[in-house]
Amino acid sequence: MLAQILSISLLLTGSFLILLAAIGLIRLPDVYCRAHALGKATTLGVCFLLLALFIELGIELTGLKIFIAICFQLLTIPVSSHLLCLLAYRSNVSPYKNTNSN
Amino acid sequence: MTPVLITCQIILLVATLAGLWRLLKGPSIFDRILAFDLIAVCCIGHMVLLSIAWHTTMFLEVIIIFSLLAFFGTVALAFFLGEKKSPEEP
Repeated sequence: MLAQILSISLLLTGSFLILLAAIGLIRLPDVYCRAHALGKATTLGVCFLLLALFIELGIELTGLKIFIAICFQLLTIPVSSHLLCLLAYRSNVSPYKNTNSN
Repeated sequence: MTPVLITCQIILLVATLAGLWRLLKGPSIFDRILAFDLIAVCCIGHMVLLSIAWHTTMFLEVIIIFSLLAFFGTVALAFFLGEKKSPEEP
């Protein structure tokens, strides 16, 4: 029962975080802001969804595979987001007009 | 358990539609690659929800391989754009 409550809350939180990333992708004015919204909220949302799957399926070999998947998500999504930001900065995509440049 | 799964699937569907809107409308190509990332993440979420609903472990390899493909797609597009951009610089 407790595991089911924990799994349900993890699922809802993860889906809500992915929805938050989508809202940020629509509403924010700039490539850098969008990558900032996407690279953090998406990572945490997918990790919560995979933790809910871990609670549902058990701790044996499937647990190891889910652990590998969580580590992979934690490694790759921020790296790709940062890579896109770096490339946009190198190719002179103009930032939002109220940005303080230094 | 089933209403929670349906709610999560509707939320992920709304997120996917938002990603598709940004994919159609994005001003630069980087917005489109970000939208592609979001859609890949929503696909992974749908796979997780399906494997909870059917109580199977069949989709775990699919999840790992799909996230790997999304990451390498992003990196390949980034390197392609970087290679295309570099000869124009002085």
